[in-house]
Amino acid sequence: MAQRLSIEGVSVDFGGLKAVHDASLEIAPGEIVGLIGPNGAGKTTLFNAISGLVPVSSGQILIDDVSLSDRPAHERSKFGIARTFQAVQLIQDSSVIENIMIGMHSRLDHGLFDLFGQFRTSRSQDYVAQKRAYEVLERLSLGDLALTRVSSLDFGQQRRVEIARALVSEPRLLLLDEPAAGLGPDEVEDLEALLVLLTRKSGLSMLIVEHVLSLVFKLCDRIVVLDNGSVIATGLPAEIADNAEVRRAYLGDVAC
Amino acid sequence: MRPAIVIFLLLLLLFAPFVLDAYTQYLVNLALSYSLVCLGLNLLLGYAGQFSFANAAFMGIGAYTYALLTSRLGVPSLVALPAAGMAATALGMVVAGPALRLSTVYLAMTSLAFAELVQWTFIHWSAVTLGTDGVRVRWPAVGSYVAQGDKNTFYVVLVVVAISYWSALRIVRSKLGRAFLAIRQGETLARCSGIDVERTKTIAYAISAFYAGIGGALFALTIRFIVPDGFGLVQLVLQFSMVLIGGLGSLLGGLVGSLLLTVMPELLRNVEAYQEMLYGVLLVLFVIFMPRGIVGLLGRLGLVPQEILVRGAVAYFDARRRKHSGL
Repeated sequence: MAQRLSIEGVSVDFGGLKAVHDASLEIAPGEIVGLIGPNGAGKTTLFNAISGLVPVSSGQILIDDVSLSDRPAHERSKFGIARTFQAVQLIQDSSVIENIMIGMHSRLDHGLFDLFGQFRTSRSQDYVAQKRAYEVLERLSLGDLALTRVSSLDFGQQRRVEIARALVSEPRLLLLDEPAAGLGPDEVEDLEALLVLLTRKSGLSMLIVEHVLSLVFKLCDRIVVLDNGSVIATGLPAEIADNAEVRRAYLGDVAC
Repeated sequence: MRPAIVIFLLLLLLFAPFVLDAYTQYLVNLALSYSLVCLGLNLLLGYAGQFSFANAAFMGIGAYTYALLTSRLGVPSLVALPAAGMAATALGMVVAGPALRLSTVYLAMTSLAFAELVQWTFIHWSAVTLGTDGVRVRWPAVGSYVAQGDKNTFYVVLVVVAISYWSALRIVRSKLGRAFLAIRQGETLARCSGIDVERTKTIAYAISAFYAGIGGALFALTIRFIVPDGFGLVQLVLQFSMVLIGGLGSLLGGLVGSLLLTVMPELLRNVEAYQEMLYGVLLVLFVIFMPRGIVGLLGRLGLVPQEILVRGAVAYFDARRRKHSGL
């Protein structure tokens, strides 16, 4: 069940630009790993490589020793990978439940019978699957908003809907791309509590790209620092905070 | 409660031929045929967010397949109808090929070229299509019963339209319909949600062409005489107007738009010269001020229930709420 993600010497080139260069990292089951680095360090590119949105020019991305490199993006959710986006990607005109059910795509298997032959709504796959969707919504305190249009939710709620959509596919590895961006201090605290709750109970692993460093340092078991496309440090939050090279690359020369 | 309303309206429609005069009946049949053509366009454009100018051609292929099969080969209506849909579907898949690789203006031009090619074939392959002379279409027959006249044809049209809308509702309220929406929102989102974008787009083109083809067949048996000219650019503008005015991304929208734009020209008979101009102006106004059309506006006013693309969602959450308040 539990899965280990290994990234082995991955490089991503865009023409002459090396967006990610020879990056390696591992995420153990149940582990929360933070991925930090200055703007343009290649964090989102590495995310996109794991999701299959950009091709890897060398190196391997492995889930439990199975290589994902040749798999198209849409097959990777079957390997237990789900993600959220830096800019919220929700269908604003649709309700929360519709958006959530999109995340369940690979878990549903509507055959022609379920489409046209299943006359009892209560027996259709959609109806049955809503139980799982609803449990996730409850956990994220979105239960009462299931039929509400996304456009009438506040930004913090929209972020949670995105996380819920990723969670309903029952992933083993959740990739969060700046989940705290645009949130107020209270909302960041709520987010932290939520993410702790999600991993500690279920063995779900997470890789988080985030600029709100207080969140990363409190939440993550391990932190990986990327600069100019290369991994410059990996370690426990305390080690990273004391690492001189990280300070120079990330925080600038002014020590804090 | 909602199925009850639908059944009530359908029953009401069953009595329409007793109150309508022959010409109005003909218009209703025509509008219902158009509603399926619009259903096809709406699934592709409104749901999947894919652009194509080939819908009039799909309709034409459906119309010609039905007309030629029944009139020239004596194939029964009930066989020719699905055949019309299948023929359009086959060509829909052909258009889907380039559509997966092209976008924006290139896709528009390619699909337009395809549409012109289809029309050209109707005109010049006269050994089969009878060219510009057109094809006369018989009244539809079910077994030995011939649905003579517009009032009897109405029932044939109504049954086909009802089945089509029911199946379309099932499609959009499934993972397929939601996958269409996800692709419209963004292919990145779709891919990361486990949706095979290329495959889903191809299915969207196929389904869209199928409904347009069936709509074309109904169109043929309603107007009973088809010519190649009927499936050109003017036809395409009409269909876009119907979908955009009725409501993009809403099944009801196509129905409202086709009813409105079939009846309106009749009301504007004495200003015929301005009709096309009026379509143009309406189209622009709607795109700017009411991008979700009439149904979108009614929805915002709470007069039409929100379309939710999850089967039984409202029932599910009602049941859940009752359970909670019961505890």
